[in-house]
Amino acid sequence: MTRPTDDMNGGAPSRRARWLAKYGLGFLTIAVIIGVYWLYTLQPQANRTLTPPPPKVVAAFVAAIADGSLFVNIGWSLYRVVIGFAIGTLLAVLMGCTAGWFRYAGYVLNPIIEAIRPIPALAYIPLIIVWVGIDEPARILIIVLAVFKPTVVNTRQGMQEVPRIYVEAAEALGASRMTTFWRVGFPNAIPYIVSGMRNGLAAGFLALVAAELIASSNGLGFLISNAGQNLQIDVVLMGIVVIGVVATLLDAIAVRAQAYLTRWSEVRQS
Amino acid sequence: MSDAIEAALQATPAIEIKDVWRTFQRLDGSAPFTALQDIRLDVRAGTFVAIIGGSGCGKSTLLRIIAGLVPPSRGTVLHEGKPVHGPHHSRGFVFQGDAVFPWLTVRRNIEFGLQCRGIPAAERKRTAETWAAAVGLADFIEAFPKELSGGMRKRVDLARVYANDPDVLLMDEPFGALDAQTKERMQVELLGLWDRTRKTVLFVTHDVDEAVFLADEIVVMAARPGRIAERIKVPLPRPRDERSRVSDAFEETRRRLRKLLEDLAPATTPAR
Repeated sequence: MTRPTDDMNGGAPSRRARWLAKYGLGFLTIAVIIGVYWLYTLQPQANRTLTPPPPKVVAAFVAAIADGSLFVNIGWSLYRVVIGFAIGTLLAVLMGCTAGWFRYAGYVLNPIIEAIRPIPALAYIPLIIVWVGIDEPARILIIVLAVFKPTVVNTRQGMQEVPRIYVEAAEALGASRMTTFWRVGFPNAIPYIVSGMRNGLAAGFLALVAAELIASSNGLGFLISNAGQNLQIDVVLMGIVVIGVVATLLDAIAVRAQAYLTRWSEVRQS
Repeated sequence: MSDAIEAALQATPAIEIKDVWRTFQRLDGSAPFTALQDIRLDVRAGTFVAIIGGSGCGKSTLLRIIAGLVPPSRGTVLHEGKPVHGPHHSRGFVFQGDAVFPWLTVRRNIEFGLQCRGIPAAERKRTAETWAAAVGLADFIEAFPKELSGGMRKRVDLARVYANDPDVLLMDEPFGALDAQTKERMQVELLGLWDRTRKTVLFVTHDVDEAVFLADEIVVMAARPGRIAERIKVPLPRPRDERSRVSDAFEETRRRLRKLLEDLAPATTPAR
């Protein structure tokens, strides 16, 4: 009799090996890119101001933590993203549900959704500066627009694609039209909505950095543009890495939320 | 129950179908297609009626009209003497497809109809547990449908409809999508549930054996145009079980029904 081994899945790598490969290889890619860059900065003809070596970037990071400015900037950016994300999502879900479920509401609202859909949120920046100004509401409005777009389109689709059998089953069980909307249409759309929200969060963060690049006295976008104007390329590089890390962490939270909210769904979420 | 009340109950049929027609407009604009022609049928309370016929005989359309999911083109359906306008919880419907809500647990699915009618939470919980147990899913009450097999989901569907306590159960080939073995087991379970409550059932199927095994009476429909061709009584005693399937009465009714359906089938040109 053969002894059972770890290899119980027909020669496929174990979950642990897969996990190691996924993160190990990913880490290696980053390390190679940094290594090549580092080697370049060590060349005698390399300019230490325009291409600062990695230790200088790390030093800029440590300094920004020591004087607390990094936390202030991250804090401002997160504050704007959270407010803009909340408003944008709320508007998108309300409008998407209504437009996707009620035919005549769709006739009224679809032109608005279709008009916003093909235009990048950043294209509204000049208009927003002229009409709203360069203060906090302007920056948040850009995020709201960026978040709104993918979420409203997904929500509407989710409401439109509810299988007829669910609606008829609910009605035969005694559900009113509003109950069917709220307890069949909406839950059926949840996988679409959270997938839209995840895209919206990424788009919102992108728009935020752009908004802060243009007119702000704080935030991660400001950190980069301000350092660039002072030719502190080490701070610029540090800021870019921090933005990447913050965005990745936000998405990781979104993935967790998505997995929980769609735990009943047979469709595997990416 | 006194004889007077019993007589009164017998007098008013649970379902009365009065001169129902249903036509569908054709896409090419030619003469409309008659799916149902002049259907008249009374169903007495507490009987199990099967509706059988080939494809295109309008049996599903008829059931959907009784449910109120589709309006008739002409004629009316009366339920307990009152005309049907739209779906109502007093007429439970079991679909052929999987109608169990995937976003709700088994418990919440069974509670759905009760919640729509404003039944208090404590009573909902009790009812859900009773019916989950009745269909053998007590251990799966907190599971999501994706964790269940096709047969188990069908049981959730039956429990959900039974928990809502309708007067009439309308079943549209409910076991049509199940494998043969599961189907036969579900038929026995359905009869068990029916014996407990003796609700009026209208059961649409194209499966002769299923109709004979389940029903007191079989309505045979013909196609083009969809109409009622024959009504036959099933002389099988109740309660029925697996042994009923091999009795002489079963075999005889089955043969008679097959003959009827063959005679009604549109003549096909023999293959050469």
